[in-house]
Amino acid sequence: MKMRMRNVLPVLLAMLVAACSDPRQEVTEQLTNQVLLPAHEKWHGSNAALLVATEGFCAGELDVSALEQAFYRTLQQWSYLQPLMIGPMAEGNRSWQVQFWPDKRNMVARQVEDLLAAASPLSQEALEGASVVVQGLSAFEYVVFDEAVDLTSQGDRYCPLLTGIARHQQALSGEVLSLWAGSEGMTVMLTAFPNARFASADEALGSILRTQITAVDVLKKKLGVPMGRLNQGVAQPWQAEAWRSQHSAGNLQASLSGAQAVWERVRSLVASADLVTRIDAAYQDTGKKLAALPAPLVTLVQEPEQQSQLQSLYDSLDNLETLQQVELARDLGIQIGFNANDGD
Amino acid sequence: MTLTRRHLLGMGAALGGVAALGGWAFWQGKGQSPLLLSARNDDAGKHYCTGYFLDGKRAFATPVAERCHDVARHPFLPLALFVGRRPARESYLIDLRDGGLLQIVRGQPQRHFYGHAVFHGAGEWLYATENDLNEPGRGVLGRYRLDQGNLQLVHEGEVPTHGVGPHQLAWMPDGESLVVANGGIRTEGSREKTNLHSMSPSLVVMDRHGELHSKETLQHSQSSIRHLAVASDGTIITGQQYQGEAWETVPLLAVKRPEQPYQPFPVGASQLAMMDQYTASIAIHGERRQVAMTAPRGNRFFVWDLDTAETLVDVPMEDCAGVGVAGDGFAVTSGQGRCRYFSYQDGQVASHWLDLPGGWWDNHLRLG
Repeated sequence: MKMRMRNVLPVLLAMLVAACSDPRQEVTEQLTNQVLLPAHEKWHGSNAALLVATEGFCAGELDVSALEQAFYRTLQQWSYLQPLMIGPMAEGNRSWQVQFWPDKRNMVARQVEDLLAAASPLSQEALEGASVVVQGLSAFEYVVFDEAVDLTSQGDRYCPLLTGIARHQQALSGEVLSLWAGSEGMTVMLTAFPNARFASADEALGSILRTQITAVDVLKKKLGVPMGRLNQGVAQPWQAEAWRSQHSAGNLQASLSGAQAVWERVRSLVASADLVTRIDAAYQDTGKKLAALPAPLVTLVQEPEQQSQLQSLYDSLDNLETLQQVELARDLGIQIGFNANDGD
Repeated sequence: MTLTRRHLLGMGAALGGVAALGGWAFWQGKGQSPLLLSARNDDAGKHYCTGYFLDGKRAFATPVAERCHDVARHPFLPLALFVGRRPARESYLIDLRDGGLLQIVRGQPQRHFYGHAVFHGAGEWLYATENDLNEPGRGVLGRYRLDQGNLQLVHEGEVPTHGVGPHQLAWMPDGESLVVANGGIRTEGSREKTNLHSMSPSLVVMDRHGELHSKETLQHSQSSIRHLAVASDGTIITGQQYQGEAWETVPLLAVKRPEQPYQPFPVGASQLAMMDQYTASIAIHGERRQVAMTAPRGNRFFVWDLDTAETLVDVPMEDCAGVGVAGDGFAVTSGQGRCRYFSYQDGQVASHWLDLPGGWWDNHLRLG
């Protein structure tokens, strides 16, 4: 039996509509194009601005506050990106090149000074060949904010490092963006299935959620480590992330916003209205507690009267993690990870 | 008396247990798709010993109490031991024809399993790596005799593995010597690692009665030697898991070629960085002289030429878990996504999805 074209067309259209209306594929595409890729692009943009500000400062055209503001913006974009860091940036040890945390033995300060003692003025080549400890924002932060460094009088010593780090960061984010582009880039892997990485939109969505949930777990660590949760309750203020710039809580807020951006897109897929309400409430609750912190984390963890407030924030993060890792994953029928989290 | 296939064929009817496996000759072969054996979970967290034909048809999924890790298949009877994962006190002897649980093999007092065991080629003995909790971390090789009449494994002594925290073991080509990966990590009956700053991993070759033939180490003492495979010429490839600082990049594969010292397998720094300091399962394709390895934390699957170390396959694969030789290539399971098949021939990588269920596969599989 021959099928006429006018009979085939509606069938093809129906198939096309069915394919396009797969809600999980739609959400994965939205996440990719509206959340994940833009977050990488904004991070790259902030690195470009950091380089401009650093060169301006080192040329004597900008004051240190302009440099600090550029640093804060970069740190903010980096923190926002972490729950969205699926693919290239999460691979190949790249993230260590951006931030060195936790710095258990004050390695950033020691290695920066050792590097500058060995190679002054520092060349870009020497920095590229050095440890990740000195290539990223943590080393940049040390130079700009640490009391031991007088940047005003020691610009000749430290500026080559600051400029080198800013260049390294811009090159790194540029490389990562290039790995998102092209016919085999991450954008295609997250939007056209099956592909070399994912068999289906479900798998890609599972991987996005796994990245996001892992990042929420890292937020717990970023709070819990300085609180002393891994140190028999004895506070470790200098283990706080970004303690020198007193930006720890700001980083946590930015990362929570990144995680929430994933949730906002995923929400429509959830069958249980009750679960949606509870996860919405968990984000709101955690966000409020973070915004209400009265002082930088490095200070708060040293004040006994603040412990209950910090513990309450930690509990909120823990609740958010559990809701997503257990209940959300179950509701969506999506697997969050098995051997990668607990192999042998 | 050594239990051999010939003996079984001759005496089968006289032995109750073997007679019970009477269909075994018919069960093997018959043009079936290869049977893949692996431990698996379900999304409720329950544990299973599973058998799936590679074409996707389920042979069995037997629920068990403890999560298992590797599978020791009997050389010619349709049975296999699914070995409890560290620090399991149980392993499970399974009838491969229907998944029937023949025996819950309970660990000896003050011992637990490490997830790996092997049957001797003659079929009478099984050897399992175990922890001596009287002296935590001291590795022992538990010896179990297969009771032919009752098809039960009976513990009959142990010998040291000459190292701490033994993990995978495999037969050398002589079929009498074993290579054991002593991971070097001390645990005390839980999953907590208690000696990460004083680890002592080693690669040991010993005979199955306990005599030490060789013991070698690698440069990085925090590189836990975990998994291995042996080629027909005796070349041993091992995979390590690094317990040192998270930002460091250290060798994660090593090789011991016949008559040569144990040393890093030459893998490039960028590949090492992609592994996220963790390797899982290793398989060697004897005919093609290829070695495959999964890196579930780095979501990466690799195949190299065993002799030249040339990279043949280097692809992303989410939470890739077990790997085994199938036909011209390798079947690979995943803890998170669909299972895949990869082969490399004449400069080309061929890959397709397998019709197996996706996700929840543990880190090892056996095919045959």
